[in-house]
Amino acid sequence: MDPDKDNANPTILNPSDLPSRRRESSVKKREDGGVGLFDDLIPAYTYLNDPFDLPASSSDSDSDSVEDIDAQEIYDLISSISDPEHPLSLGSLAVVNLPDIRILPPTSAGSPISTVVVEITPTITHCSLATVIGLGVRVRLEQALPPRFRVDVRIKKGTHSTDEAVNKQLGDKERVAAALENGTLMGVLRKMLSTCE
Amino acid sequence: MSDIQLYLLEFDKDKKETSRIAEQSATRLQNGELKLVALIENLGEYINNEESTLRTKAMAYLAEVLSFTPQKVLSRHQRNLLCDFILSRIADDGEGLGSCAKGLLALEERGKWDYERATAVIEVLINHTHPLRQYKLQTERYPVLTLIDTLMAKYRDALRNLHDTTPDFMARFISYFEGEKDPRNLMVVFSILKVPMIEWDIGADAQELFDAVFNYFPITFRPPPGDPYGITAQHLKDRLRDCIASTPDFAPYSFPALLDKLDSTSVNTKRDVLQTISSCVKEYGPRTVSLYSITLWDALKFEILNAQEEDLAQEALSALAGIAQTLADGSSGPLNAYLRPITNECNEHLEDAPTKQSQASGQILHKIASTSPETATIIISIILPNLYTLYQTADTTAKRRGLLEVLVQLIRADIEVFGEWRSLGKFTGDPLATNPLDKFGSRTLEVMANGLSTAPIKEVSFRLVCLNGLLHLTKVRQLLDDQDIAKVIQLFHDVVITEESYGKDEMKAAAINGLVEISHQKPQLVVDKAFPAFMAELPDTDADGSLTYLPVLEAFAKLASEEKVFDKVILRLKNKLNTAVKEHASSSYLVALLSAILYALNQGGVQLEQSSESSPYYQDIVLPLLSQVSSSDSSHQHAFDNETTLDLVGRICSIIIRPQSVEIQNKISKEIQSLFRGFSFTDVPPFNLNCTLQQTKWMIVTAHLLGAFRKEVALPSDTQSFLNALIQFTQQSSLTPPVRAATLSQISLVTNKFITTPTLNSLLEPILYPPTDLLSPSSLNPTTIRIIFAVLKGLVLRNSTLLSTIYPTLLSFLTNPTYGTTVAHGFTTLLQPADLLTKQNHCIISGLHKQKTFTLLVPNIAASFRAAEKETKPNYLIALSGVLRWLPFEIVQEELSQLLPLLLQSLDLKGEEGVKESAVGCLMKVLERNPGMVEEHTGSLITRLLSTATPIATVGSLGNNPAVGKATISGARAGVVNGNPARVRAVALKCLAMVPAQLKMEVVLPFRRQVVKKLAAALDDRRRIVRTEAVRCRAKWLEVDEVGDEDD
Repeated sequence: MDPDKDNANPTILNPSDLPSRRRESSVKKREDGGVGLFDDLIPAYTYLNDPFDLPASSSDSDSDSVEDIDAQEIYDLISSISDPEHPLSLGSLAVVNLPDIRILPPTSAGSPISTVVVEITPTITHCSLATVIGLGVRVRLEQALPPRFRVDVRIKKGTHSTDEAVNKQLGDKERVAAALENGTLMGVLRKMLSTCE
Repeated sequence: MSDIQLYLLEFDKDKKETSRIAEQSATRLQNGELKLVALIENLGEYINNEESTLRTKAMAYLAEVLSFTPQKVLSRHQRNLLCDFILSRIADDGEGLGSCAKGLLALEERGKWDYERATAVIEVLINHTHPLRQYKLQTERYPVLTLIDTLMAKYRDALRNLHDTTPDFMARFISYFEGEKDPRNLMVVFSILKVPMIEWDIGADAQELFDAVFNYFPITFRPPPGDPYGITAQHLKDRLRDCIASTPDFAPYSFPALLDKLDSTSVNTKRDVLQTISSCVKEYGPRTVSLYSITLWDALKFEILNAQEEDLAQEALSALAGIAQTLADGSSGPLNAYLRPITNECNEHLEDAPTKQSQASGQILHKIASTSPETATIIISIILPNLYTLYQTADTTAKRRGLLEVLVQLIRADIEVFGEWRSLGKFTGDPLATNPLDKFGSRTLEVMANGLSTAPIKEVSFRLVCLNGLLHLTKVRQLLDDQDIAKVIQLFHDVVITEESYGKDEMKAAAINGLVEISHQKPQLVVDKAFPAFMAELPDTDADGSLTYLPVLEAFAKLASEEKVFDKVILRLKNKLNTAVKEHASSSYLVALLSAILYALNQGGVQLEQSSESSPYYQDIVLPLLSQVSSSDSSHQHAFDNETTLDLVGRICSIIIRPQSVEIQNKISKEIQSLFRGFSFTDVPPFNLNCTLQQTKWMIVTAHLLGAFRKEVALPSDTQSFLNALIQFTQQSSLTPPVRAATLSQISLVTNKFITTPTLNSLLEPILYPPTDLLSPSSLNPTTIRIIFAVLKGLVLRNSTLLSTIYPTLLSFLTNPTYGTTVAHGFTTLLQPADLLTKQNHCIISGLHKQKTFTLLVPNIAASFRAAEKETKPNYLIALSGVLRWLPFEIVQEELSQLLPLLLQSLDLKGEEGVKESAVGCLMKVLERNPGMVEEHTGSLITRLLSTATPIATVGSLGNNPAVGKATISGARAGVVNGNPARVRAVALKCLAMVPAQLKMEVVLPFRRQVVKKLAAALDDRRRIVRTEAVRCRAKWLEVDEVGDEDD
């Protein structure tokens, strides 16, 4: 194994133990508590459906329910980013955690701008790649969130020996922009983001 | 002119002609027209010519004539003379070596050589043409190699004797082939060299021989396009690997060299090395392998413990297992010596569990332990005590999980070696082997049972491991007694029944699957222990309105998939249903119970087939259910008037009746219309138009019964009047939609399988044309349109010739101002997979029906579309998409260039979401399979997909002006909604995401800016599924120019 790794042997969370949207919605949806085993018994194209009547019965549930972007959605966006030095996701390494993601509503009524705050937890306190990870999370969110969100990525307080400095770096627009001009760094970021769904 | 002169003339012009001339000479030799002496004399002038090319050509002529000469034309003496002649040419000249070899091969085929001749041939070759690489043309070397290969195959003793008696023969022989690079020649070289490797006493030459082949390792050859010989890298690799693994004498050279190459950074090289090591340890035998076993372990373990590539780790594991397997054939000392460092190292890694290394240790132990009873015994008795100690002192659940995962691996290995209850393992027959788990069985059971029942419910992964471990433990042959297994069963059904739901309910799913597996091993125990528990949880009635029964019911129905308990599951469910009916349970409970029965019957389909003569389920299930449906006295339950219930009843009856023979079905058929009430068929639907609402619903059940019948079964009334009755019946306005749909299905079933082809025309004529006259524009109305399509559905599947007359009429209806759109929507029913018209339901389904309907309809629709009025154009698009959505791409692609513009225009339709969805689906298929077709439409495709997917306001308004951008952002929030439903928006984005990867970079690049910008609006869609697709799609488009970035 590559001896240069900061933390060659991190703790890994099992996929069954990661938070996910599916769990929550499947429980809510099926009040009967079943798993939908019998749902496929009658084929979707059952003869009892009348193809001539279809146009009338649609899209009614669509317009009246708005699903807002929430912390879980942000988590799903960034937990699948790969760690730069392990072939594992940030979620399973517990670098990003659901409770450390917050969405702050617009500060004034007139402004449409909300802020997403993500605090990342490096696997060890002297992790030299914390900045790269932070940058990866930031780039991912900027690509995947609508422009009305401002993205604020920081190192969770007390989890890194130089968290102040790293936060300063991540918060500085110019330095972020300059970093993204760097070909090698972009290569690393692209590799990290390539596992995103 | 003599033949040789003609031959020389043609030599550089026409290969075929030269062959013909040579063949002619051969024929003349055979006829005696040409004497061999004359032939040689004619040749003399050229074969001794100063011009070397002439000499070569002359030799080619001789070789070719010989190869065309039939057996027995040449006498033994002549052959010997010719051999001597050719050999002298090789020795003196060297030109035309390939032809010489071909000539010798031809002579050898025409008469076996003796010992001395074979020796002479090889000696001349080695002495006068060494090294072979001096001949530049691979086509010249190939015959020589083939000749030597033939000698190796047929005159092995002669060559071997030469090796034994000539001290330096081997060295010269090996170096003879040095530098060969042509793949086809190399294949022969490897096969030649393999013979001395395996059979000869190579002693001092071992290293040289090894180097001669190992120089080619690893093979990195890639066959050129259109390679005439079809040799792949894999062929070469396989032969080379066989050479390296051929003799234990190579071990001192092969292992160090291979391990050295294992440090390579190329994955392919590493894979080759690992596969070769696997072959070597299998072939070299226990004595040799024991010398290298620990060295190999030290090197191979890194590939597993720090696995970079999963498949390399698997190869390394196979190699380690191969060592254990080979050593187990020898004495116990070396095996112990090999396993000691392995168990030590794994024990160390267990201390830090759970880590990648502890996981890898589990894999190593599993793979090695499963090779033989000896290794399993050694590994289990060394690892388990330590594992238990660590488990006892472990301070976190995660660590315990890591340890148990390894334990499960060991149990799995044990099962592979010693077997399950119902199947023997690899070595169960060995009477001397006692299962090492015997000593640990109760301890293991206790640990894992404890873990499962005491760990908090949110420790999903830990409990899953416990559950998995317990399951494997119950499988181990003759390990646990029935009492212990019963304990495990109870733990499992407790999880299913009483435990509260948590998360994704992985535990419950795993527990029920576990029960199914245990019931495969120990059916009676599961029936005795788990069944009562399940039954107790199912209420007799759901009068209190609780829904808790469903998960239990689902779990119980799943058990039916195990054939050993299938009968019992059905029986219990049936009893429960009877009780529920008696207790006036609600229809939703009955639906659940019926669903469970149907599910169970589907699972055990095989058993229904087996009892095709007289099914007990017919008496037990079909008849009681039908009488329940059709009863009219006080015992009738209103729950059985519910259409869903009736549909399920129909399906259950159908699945049981379907496999029965014609004779039995004939008996049933008389009664089906009245559902065994004994009425005349004229008193019930569809013949009686004045029946009660309850009776009309019987049509739902009878549709399924009709579906279950074989086509030879006689219907109660004649087909003509039955069909007429059905058509009359459908047209009643009082019918509920499901009853009408069921009646229409019966029409389709009758036209498909109960009318023979000769009578089809005469039967349908009076229906399609006057008097009933369905196909007249004046009789169009929503019901008749449905009937037309129901009739057609039956005809489409049997590929009837009537289609070619009906389709044009149908297409002409698309212009009908009132009903055109309704007709258009009907087209989707034609090729849609049918619920009742299936192969299992004995329907006639032609393999070509899709193709036929496509050819009859699609080109016509495309042509008429162009000529159509603006108002009726959408109808054609709707009809088209209805047909296309069910067609495989292979069929559609014939007309693709015509269809693409139509598909794109379909995206502009208002409100036809089904049409858009199918159009996008079709475009995705095109993008995937034949992206080149789309290229000219790229711009139009992208714009349309964007407008389908994003809020209306943003389209066209998102310019470069940031102020406008901001306005749309808030606009999206304020509720400017796209008219398309979320599903359509999402699928459009999915399609758009395919564009960058499928189309050429230069085609896509100009659109990147625009797409990325507009997708920002889709990122803020109201629905999550759309946003997810938008994110995915945008990421794909953002990547577009990144390739360019790297070049800067």
